[in-house]
Amino acid sequence: MKPILEISHLEKRFGDHLVLKDINFQVDQGEVICVIGSSGSGKSTMLRCINFLEEPTGGRILYHGKDAATEWRRTEYNAKVGMVFQSFNLFSNMSVLENCVAGQMYVLKTPRKEAEEKAVYFLEKVGMGQYRYAKPAQLSGGQKQRVAIARALCMEPEILLFDEPTSALDPEMVGEVLGVMQKLAASGMTMLIVTHEMSFARDVAQRVLFMDGGIILEDAKPAELFTNPKQERTKEFLQRVIARQL
Amino acid sequence: MPANIPSSFFEWVSFLLDKYGALFFKGTVVTLEVALTGTVFGFLLGLIVAIVRTIPLSKKSRAKRIALHVCRFLLGAYIEVFRGTPMIVQSMVIYYGLMQVGVKMPVLAAAIFIVSINTGAYMAEIIRGGIISVDKGQKEATVALGMTHWQGMVHVVLPQAVRNIMPSIGNEFVVNIKDSSVLNVISVGELFFMSKSAAGAYLRYFEVFFITACIYLVLTFSVTRLLRLMEKKMDGQDHYTIYGSQSDSKSSITVQEGGQV
Repeated sequence: MKPILEISHLEKRFGDHLVLKDINFQVDQGEVICVIGSSGSGKSTMLRCINFLEEPTGGRILYHGKDAATEWRRTEYNAKVGMVFQSFNLFSNMSVLENCVAGQMYVLKTPRKEAEEKAVYFLEKVGMGQYRYAKPAQLSGGQKQRVAIARALCMEPEILLFDEPTSALDPEMVGEVLGVMQKLAASGMTMLIVTHEMSFARDVAQRVLFMDGGIILEDAKPAELFTNPKQERTKEFLQRVIARQL
Repeated sequence: MPANIPSSFFEWVSFLLDKYGALFFKGTVVTLEVALTGTVFGFLLGLIVAIVRTIPLSKKSRAKRIALHVCRFLLGAYIEVFRGTPMIVQSMVIYYGLMQVGVKMPVLAAAIFIVSINTGAYMAEIIRGGIISVDKGQKEATVALGMTHWQGMVHVVLPQAVRNIMPSIGNEFVVNIKDSSVLNVISVGELFFMSKSAAGAYLRYFEVFFITACIYLVLTFSVTRLLRLMEKKMDGQDHYTIYGSQSDSKSSITVQEGGQV
């Protein structure tokens, strides 16, 4: 089976600062991949380069074998590659329902009625159906993030990118969001998740990427990476993080 | 001269109101007309300028990039010129300038044109500020969903930007009500111009302009209240209905036989 996403020699520099040096990996259909690493290692930048919120300064991203930067229409590609942000980024001028309808109507040109039905379907899935008429400002962080996930799902993406989806949440709300993500993973959704939730990465991911200094230092199954890391840097990082989390 | 000449301030005021009420009324109507249309057109003009000035530079097409740079430069120049010179001078230059080249604009049209183009320069910066103030993440979310820059602006950024700058738009409206008085230099029959004619007849400047001041105050006060109401309207309800609850008109609860829901 051909991978959905092939990333080769991805590079991103901001001025003189080289944030991503040489990123290479592939994502297969249905894979759940967690990306871990200390802050400043380039995890978020890598995710943002994958859907071109930041223009990469080098390398290639192939989506279904075609260059995402040149051979795909940007809007079409972005509709297929969904994104969930750390700070939710819900449209605050719209209700929860409208948030989920907007992309379908304006990008996919879905008729309103159909778009609303799909929106309700996914809102129910993340347990936010009854809040469909609320405005984002009236919701808690966990609720907002669940709506943001529903909004991304409404586009029926082929792969979902998560940029630290629980980092801006109160501890007691982390669980509800991770729960939704776990269900999503179980349903076969392809996911690339930048996270600091080590237990989530260990239990849900099929592969874990450890990033350090703008490269992927280690790429392994979670059982292997968490119990028997090959690199010294990985070991150090895990010791620090796991000591704090458990 | 009337048979019984008013002797006190209040007698003068009521006398002048009686005699020149129609004049004051006509002046008020013109002032409102000029201020309202000027603010609306100025807003639209400012909106277009601000939108063009916030278009991201295309990385692919060099021609587009250069065109955009030229546009931005011209619009920047427009803003600098019209913010940097007094409206009273602008009206002289535009009105008499056009006349010299053989274009005789009707004064009311000239008045609305001048106020619009002047307001547009201020609005452009106010609206640009509004656009910048909208949370950048929301614009990113529109891109991540596959929306174009234009779609993101129309559906997400501009509605929020306009809501946020409503107080400043109100400010501009109030300024226009007052500053349209400078248009009397090109003989626009607005409130100040009319007041001057009314004052001249009996040389009662204080009484006449006391009335004029009151009218301006009533105008600006009602306009600010009205805009407040509009803001409230834009904000919508501060509560929401839980879907499926009893207060939700769209839900229906059907009771089946045996009393089971």
